[in-house]
Amino acid sequence: MNHEEIKAVVQEKFLSSEKVTAFLCDAKVLHPDWVKKERLLAIVEYGDEKAVFCLFTSCYPPKSFTDLSVEIVLPVDNTFKCEIDNKPSDPEAILYLNLQSRNNKFKFEIQMTPRVDNFVDDLFRGIEAVNKLQLQPEFLWLKKYNGKNEDDILAHTMVAPRGGVTHMQNSAPVAIRESLIKRKMSDKENDYTFTKKFTVFCGTWNVNDKSPVIPLKGWLSVDKEPPDIYAIGFQELDLSKETFLFDQTAREDEWYNAVLNYVDRRAKYVKVEKVRLVGMLLIVLIKEKHFSHVRNVICDTVGTGIMGKMGNKGGVSIRLDLHNTSICFVNSHLAAHVEEYERRNQDFRDICNRTRFIQTNQQPKGIKDHDHIYWLGDLNYRITELDPQTVRKLVSENNFLPVLERDQLKQQHKNGYVFSGYTEGPITFKPTYKYDPGTDNWDSSEKNRAPAWCDRIFWKGNNIMQLAYRSHPPLNISDHKPVSAIFVSEIKIIDEEKYRKVYEEVIKQLDKLENELIPQVKVDITDIDFGTVKYLELQVRTITIKNTGKLPVEFEFIKKLDEASFCKEWLIVEPYKKCICADETCEIQLKVLINKTSACKMNAGIDKLYDILVLHLYGGKDIFITVNGTYERSCFGCSIEVLVNLNKPVREIPVGKLIELESKRDQCISNHSTYSIPKEIWFLVDHIYLHGLKEPNLFEQPGLHSEVLQIRDWLDTGSIDPIPGSIHSVAEALLLLLESTADPIIPYNLQSVCLRASANYLQCKQIIMELPEFRKNVFLYLCEFLQEALQHSAENGLDSKTLSTLFGAIFLRDNPNVIQEPQSRINKQVIDKKKAHFVYHFLTNDHSDLIFAR
Amino acid sequence: MISIAMATNRSAQRPNGAPQTKVCQFKLVLLGESAVGKSSLVLRFVKGQFHEYQESTIGAAFLTQTLCLDDTTVKFEIWDTAGQERYHSLAPMYYRGAQAAIVVYDITNQDTFGRAKNWVKELQRQASPSIVIALAGNKSDLAAKRMVEFEEAQAYADENGLLFMETSAKTAMNVNDIFLAIANKLPKSEVSTGGAGTRVLNDADAPRASSCCK
Repeated sequence: MNHEEIKAVVQEKFLSSEKVTAFLCDAKVLHPDWVKKERLLAIVEYGDEKAVFCLFTSCYPPKSFTDLSVEIVLPVDNTFKCEIDNKPSDPEAILYLNLQSRNNKFKFEIQMTPRVDNFVDDLFRGIEAVNKLQLQPEFLWLKKYNGKNEDDILAHTMVAPRGGVTHMQNSAPVAIRESLIKRKMSDKENDYTFTKKFTVFCGTWNVNDKSPVIPLKGWLSVDKEPPDIYAIGFQELDLSKETFLFDQTAREDEWYNAVLNYVDRRAKYVKVEKVRLVGMLLIVLIKEKHFSHVRNVICDTVGTGIMGKMGNKGGVSIRLDLHNTSICFVNSHLAAHVEEYERRNQDFRDICNRTRFIQTNQQPKGIKDHDHIYWLGDLNYRITELDPQTVRKLVSENNFLPVLERDQLKQQHKNGYVFSGYTEGPITFKPTYKYDPGTDNWDSSEKNRAPAWCDRIFWKGNNIMQLAYRSHPPLNISDHKPVSAIFVSEIKIIDEEKYRKVYEEVIKQLDKLENELIPQVKVDITDIDFGTVKYLELQVRTITIKNTGKLPVEFEFIKKLDEASFCKEWLIVEPYKKCICADETCEIQLKVLINKTSACKMNAGIDKLYDILVLHLYGGKDIFITVNGTYERSCFGCSIEVLVNLNKPVREIPVGKLIELESKRDQCISNHSTYSIPKEIWFLVDHIYLHGLKEPNLFEQPGLHSEVLQIRDWLDTGSIDPIPGSIHSVAEALLLLLESTADPIIPYNLQSVCLRASANYLQCKQIIMELPEFRKNVFLYLCEFLQEALQHSAENGLDSKTLSTLFGAIFLRDNPNVIQEPQSRINKQVIDKKKAHFVYHFLTNDHSDLIFAR
Repeated sequence: MISIAMATNRSAQRPNGAPQTKVCQFKLVLLGESAVGKSSLVLRFVKGQFHEYQESTIGAAFLTQTLCLDDTTVKFEIWDTAGQERYHSLAPMYYRGAQAAIVVYDITNQDTFGRAKNWVKELQRQASPSIVIALAGNKSDLAAKRMVEFEEAQAYADENGLLFMETSAKTAMNVNDIFLAIANKLPKSEVSTGGAGTRVLNDADAPRASSCCK
């Protein structure tokens, strides 16, 4: 499908007065609750008003408008904003479109294609135009696309796009329903979960490029009870150039195995995940018995080193769901150097912003999107406002308070510049940096640094209690001491029975909502009886549809299976498609008109005045409307062969007899026929011959429609009164009668022969000679009559050219059942001229030889 | 002690004991002679109501109802069709593409049972070959006026592989049960239904409260 074809499908979704001016395919809506699937963005214009529609499509590209459902409607008014960002990693190919209208904000990810320019141009033109307006538009036309609140919109889109019954595709609403269920379940979480306490051990150690040559038991296994979860972070695992440049190291396995060796041996642990970036390693272990309740384990790493990406600094993270609680562990090594605390704050923000846990079929999650977060690491904040000697002195006296007041991290945290929303427990241990490796002595190097609490543990989340926060000085191989903290955290556990109950309640509510939102209407009458319907007499009935539901209803009369149109050809329904607002009504007119095409079928019993219409409500039920009537048979629409056999007026012939005659009309043999031409033609011609040959403008001035109908009845009933109406009405009745015969006077299959022969009188005569008996009779009879009429051209103003054009079109009718190739106007003129030419011969030449040849 | 459990795939899914939800959507159509109680069955099933004088359906009414099974959630989109003979030719619009049908007769009226058999035949011929058909002998509360024997209908249903129950929209007897039986019999995997109108979403994460939207 090309762009224009898709556009046509999108346009179908809207009313014809609502014009789709631009649209974009494969836009992805970024919303935590919604399935990230391709959406269609369309700008729709109604008069001066514009709106952006986000449409969900159940298949791509949409094949029918029923594949589309409206999800978001953003009116372009003076609150409307449109901003465009590039994706930093891929500025060429991906754009982010931020749309805001009133209080609704949406972000879409779109592919950069040339179409985007058109779309955005169109949008900006709309914004510009609306901002120039004195009075803001009301956007009444959007009412039908808008629900009362978000739930309604969602629920509405769940039911709305059901579309034609015969091609139901409901996949789109299922997805929307899923996300709605999910959100409702999340709102009711407390109703089906209980909590259970889990102990969490968090440890961090900057090992300063050392191998695990000492036991780690004194760090990892010193508590009364073995913890349920271990999260252990290392920094500076390996300071070699290779590790820095190629991110490869054998130390990872050494330290990992050391951890496995020295975790509490009273319990059995299994690995949840481990992740490393250069020298930063994070290991998460859990007691084996809990392992089956761990799901959706994902990790990510962020480098904040040189160029903002090298991995010598940064953070590594692991997220998981434990029962119904989401947990995130972060191990970070922030920027070094005493004065660089702002740089460290920046690193923290970068790690927060850039960590992305990607899950299939879900919105990516960030660190903040978790119930419980534990952040540990060498955060590198120092003591700056005290000289090293004072710090050492105060610390040696265990007088930490004055020193901690000058701790950069405490200061920055207090001011909300870093770890906002996080908590840190009170520090009751000596600074963990910097020692001479292998000793408990402060750094004796020239730099003579002040001791600092570089290694820290923070947490965020409800129902977390810290039991211990300490350092482990005996582990002295590094210039840092390891730190650990023990937490008791309440983990939400699903009570399956309650979950089921709540789930069923939610489903029930949704069903109720959905069923309430199904469009409801009242139709005042579903059985329409037109009574007696006569040829060419228009009859009108009105039905009223009232919208008795809560939302706007869009209705349409839809096709039945295997039918080309939603109603029979003799019926006109106006309007056949419309939207009705709540509590409003709509009148629909049903008009019956039997013209020559349908009259022929009625006479032959192929069709009858009966139809069932299917009135479909989008997203709702169908209503059947039965249309009924009795067709008053008439000589109009009968075939010449049948008319010549009727010795009584048509109305006196039983319906069955007429149908039988029509179906056998090809077998009519002249000898058995009552007349040589239909008496109805003779009546009309004879009347004009006797009373109207000198009538000015004969065959040019139209008759009165009411008089034509009276003449129709006069012929059909065989009245003995004089023929009613003026000469012009009689003349028009004659033309209509000749035009309505089931088959034309010159059969369709001879038409092209006639046209080819039109320049040659002899050939034309030959064709006429070979016509079926009654057609030839009618043709010659009429030509004789017209010649007679031309005798009086002085009075009636006739000329042979006009007459031959008029009768050419009647004698040589185009076959309505053959789909004509679209004729050029010139071609059509040529054909019409040839038809006239054909007839002209018989109006200007003496053809009595043909008559006497009989 | 340590055991190094399975080589973990980064986001491997494991059984976790939490309830799983899979929503399957099916189109279900009700067929049968007029006044056998099709609309009443639907009304009882969806809204738990019963009207002694239920209006005649002129068209095809539409409602939805969801059933929670042990491992799946089945959402029915129910098309309740008009039973009058003059609307017969329109029925294929509704049963075409349907995954399930309930053919209803009135146990107090032998003719409606004959009509039900014709509907079954028509479905077997014209509807999707995998359609699940249930036969419902409605108005079982009027057992005193019974004209169709239970055994006769049961034998017919067995012969034709139909689910069968006698139901009463008035007393609610077997109403939920017949829909439940259909739900249980319908294939739930995407592959086996494969038809238009159904899509199965398996949401491994459903019971997880998504904390990001708090």
